[in-house]
Amino acid sequence: MIKLLAKLLRVLNSETEPGQISLGLCFSMIAGLTPLLSLHNLFVLLLVCILRVNFAAFLLGLGVFTGIAYMLDPLFHQIGLAVLTTTSLEGLWTSLYQSVWWRLEHFNNSIVMGSLVFSVGAFVPILLLSNLLIRRYRKHILAWIQKTKIMQMFKASKVYETYQTLSAWRHG
Amino acid sequence: MSKWIRLWGLGAFVVVAAILVGVWFVFVDGWVKCLIEDAGTEAVGAKVELDAADLSLFPAGLALSRLQVTDPKEPMNNAVEIAKVTMGLDGLNLLRRKIIVDEMAVEGVRVGTPRSTSGATRDVLSQEEESGMFSIDLPSLEVPDVKKILKQEDLETIRLIETLKADLKKERDTWDSRMKELPGNAQLAQYKERVKKLKQAKKGGVEGILGGVGEVQALQQDIEQDIASLKNTKQEFEEKVALLRTRMAQLRTAPKRDIQHLKAKYNLSPQGLANMSQTLLGGKIGSWVREGATWYERAKPFLEGAQALQGKESGPGVQRPLREEGVDVHFKEEKPLPDFLIRRTTVSINLDLGDLAGTVYHITNDQPTFGQPTTFTFSGDHLEGVQSVVLEGALNHVVPNDSKDKLVFQAKGYGLNNFALSKDAKWPVTMMSGLGDIRMNATLKGQDLTAQGGAIFNNLQLSAGKEGDTNPLTQALTSAVTGISQFSLQADASGTIKQPVVAISSDLDRILQKAAGNMVNELAAKFGANLQTAISTKITEPMKELKSKMAGFDGIAGDLTERVTQRNDILKSLLEKTLPTKGLKLPGGLKLPF
Repeated sequence: MIKLLAKLLRVLNSETEPGQISLGLCFSMIAGLTPLLSLHNLFVLLLVCILRVNFAAFLLGLGVFTGIAYMLDPLFHQIGLAVLTTTSLEGLWTSLYQSVWWRLEHFNNSIVMGSLVFSVGAFVPILLLSNLLIRRYRKHILAWIQKTKIMQMFKASKVYETYQTLSAWRHG
Repeated sequence: MSKWIRLWGLGAFVVVAAILVGVWFVFVDGWVKCLIEDAGTEAVGAKVELDAADLSLFPAGLALSRLQVTDPKEPMNNAVEIAKVTMGLDGLNLLRRKIIVDEMAVEGVRVGTPRSTSGATRDVLSQEEESGMFSIDLPSLEVPDVKKILKQEDLETIRLIETLKADLKKERDTWDSRMKELPGNAQLAQYKERVKKLKQAKKGGVEGILGGVGEVQALQQDIEQDIASLKNTKQEFEEKVALLRTRMAQLRTAPKRDIQHLKAKYNLSPQGLANMSQTLLGGKIGSWVREGATWYERAKPFLEGAQALQGKESGPGVQRPLREEGVDVHFKEEKPLPDFLIRRTTVSINLDLGDLAGTVYHITNDQPTFGQPTTFTFSGDHLEGVQSVVLEGALNHVVPNDSKDKLVFQAKGYGLNNFALSKDAKWPVTMMSGLGDIRMNATLKGQDLTAQGGAIFNNLQLSAGKEGDTNPLTQALTSAVTGISQFSLQADASGTIKQPVVAISSDLDRILQKAAGNMVNELAAKFGANLQTAISTKITEPMKELKSKMAGFDGIAGDLTERVTQRNDILKSLLEKTLPTKGLKLPGGLKLPF
């Protein structure tokens, strides 16, 4: 966990695009909040692999959101049950119920449906919000830390120089 | 565009997906094994074990090796052990989370095989003792000691006498007390005094008469009130006494009831021989029916399915919620299929008698959805010890509230060797050898059970009794039984599946009753006469006492009658003699009110 946090801080402090970090977090939200062994998570994994999404953010988010999911299960159950038993949507669900792939997705389960609706619904707002927060973090907090005397002294030290050299080697 | 897409990621995804599929493939057999063992154990209530499960994908199929189902009542034995089960799975429906099997082969089915370890998952309830199940309540041929019995037994006659005696005493006390409260001699003397005064007033002329009119009216009213009160009390008293006399009359029939009860208790009633076949075989057949009912009750929920339990036939149906697993909402399917269905199962059963072959159609956990009942046929010919066996049946739970199950069983030429009919210590009975033709037809409609069974046993060699038996009754029975070479049996079951009532009749009854009935009847008559004499002697004194107490109530009745008569006499003399008002004219045309 500490390693992942350190990794996140490094990602936040790096030159990585805020959008890539936010997208990693948002994809991890879908994979983490919904039951992990669901068909749609295979699709999420495909997207995480082929899009330039930050892996560290995805993995960290996956751990955090999986933990949160256990607490939110009762809420997901309520949402899912409400969605699945809405009369106006019965035709849609009945037609999906005939499809092998949708049955494999187990969409008719209250927790699968509830968590999916919740995470997909929160995807765009969380993406925009995390983008904004990362930019602000970099602009205000990181800039302030960089300007502090301790950081100036640390940057001037040989330790930092060695770290930079090693870091450069590591990222090749 | 390349800022957002990394093509090598596709390769990474393929690798990750391949790893996941590989892991699934490696562990799926173990997962299926655990799934079957867990579900089976939960359903049976004892361990269900599987040596191995092998799931193949192309074509989709499943093979199970050595499936052991523990007998919940005997955890060191398997109720069923199956050597091999192979089935082809419908792959498309498997993706829909439905296990649909067109053809399944069950090979090497054996029953009652021993286990190396206990298969109990919970405490096994202690079984009914076999000896108790076959115990025979034979009439005793020793006349019990009547004196001893009367000392030990709580006789209804004595109980009634004691109760009546106590009640008589209580009533007597109550009435003695009430008689003191009622108008008595002192009151009567007062009335006489008042009448005397009125007579004197008459002699005082018209003024005296007029002055006494009010007093006459008051006196008349007082006496009439007394008479009414005494009459009411007398009526109440007579009712009470009538009740006590009824109880007294009931006492006369109590000794007869005591004798009947004691004769039955000390096995001196010939009824015990009236249905000996029920006594001999009732327990055994009853235990088979109960065993069948237990397995049936276990299987029933699986036949009817969750949908039927909720009473929903179409539209979204919500299943029972599981903690942290949510609930599955089911929608109407175009081609509805149950979650589990085996269309055809061929079964080969290896019994000690030989091999039986059978076919089962439509094994499903949800008959209401599938719309067809489960049917089965098993048969075997030229088996060791049986000429032929046929078992056919149908479990129809398509409409759960109107379920109809049928079972037909027929065995011809069933060889009986050392078949214990009775393991009773007093009189064991064993079929040493013989042949039996057995047929059984059972129907279960909802909970109502109707079953008719019949058997004809031929070429019989029966052994009964034990060496050195001196009891004349068991000797007579043994002699009768060992001469029997054939008999027929009719066993009918009715009632409900949870409380079946088994009625058995046989021509054995007639043979046994003929052999020992007279002996028991004579003995019962003797015992009855002894009891009658002993009870009569025992109750003579208490009965005398009761009669005397009852006679005491006659005095109270006489006293009450006497008091009423005395008051009537006073009233009469008051109205007719003391005040001769006839022809008396009062001033102003006034009239006396009497």
